[in-house]
Amino acid sequence: MTPNPQATANDTSRKETAPAQVEPPLAFQPNVDICDRGTEVTIVADVPGARPDGIDISFEDGMLAVQASVAARRLPGRGVRQEYGIGDYRRTFRLGNGFDASQISADYRRGVLTIHVPRLAAVLPRKIQVRIA
Amino acid sequence: MPTFRVGFAHPLEELRDEFDRLWDSVSTAPPLHGWGLRQRSGVFPAVHVSESDDCITVEAELPGLEAGDIDISVMGDELVLKGSRPDATAAGQAESGPAGNGEKHQAVTWHRRERGTGGFERRVSLPVAVDPQRVGARLVDGVLTVTCPKAAECQPHRVEVRSS
Repeated sequence: MTPNPQATANDTSRKETAPAQVEPPLAFQPNVDICDRGTEVTIVADVPGARPDGIDISFEDGMLAVQASVAARRLPGRGVRQEYGIGDYRRTFRLGNGFDASQISADYRRGVLTIHVPRLAAVLPRKIQVRIA
Repeated sequence: MPTFRVGFAHPLEELRDEFDRLWDSVSTAPPLHGWGLRQRSGVFPAVHVSESDDCITVEAELPGLEAGDIDISVMGDELVLKGSRPDATAAGQAESGPAGNGEKHQAVTWHRRERGTGGFERRVSLPVAVDPQRVGARLVDGVLTVTCPKAAECQPHRVEVRSS
């Protein structure tokens, strides 16, 4: 059986931090789709407005952390209606062990970030052939 | 008899995840479940509207859409954004593999489905009538910006004061 990845919101807030550590600025949590195909877990995140060179993905101790910087933008004139906030995106996912960190890949197109996290071959289910004597 | 599953999280963490999922399910609104996490209302797409002396600007976040997927129309003081977001981004990759390597069809388990898919239509009332012939739009990194020059009769006129 392979580990079952579970996404958790605000995981970073649960980590104990040193008193002197500066709190990270507030960021929005992107909406995601997470699908598990057995050999890999795919995470698709909506990060509209993110700069392609401002996306940072790290994997450590089974935690995948995603951060995307959004360039400040301001519409001309005075605001009439504002229905959403603009700011950086940040979210962490607890995937657990059994993933190949060196093979994680990601691509960014049209405001959508897709991350492929492959499993280690050692943890993939193996079919055992039964020999009949 | 309880069994210990290697690689799984602590039971309390699994319980926390269950609460997270429960919260997600009640904090999102139809018809595009999960699409309202950053928005004040359940409508899609949410918009920003600003007004300058000669122009109304409308911004909307439409991640995953191409310019050809969005139909923009203007009539008087109403802007209509219409389109459809396909499920290909995640589901297509899930079925065919990220590189199209021809691997056999595998069972897919969805752990989260927060991104909405399907058709949408948003009607935005503009503060004043605009000139539909001069409306322009651009889509960059999933952010749509529609520039609507005001109709001539709605633009401010400077009145000269003559002194006798």
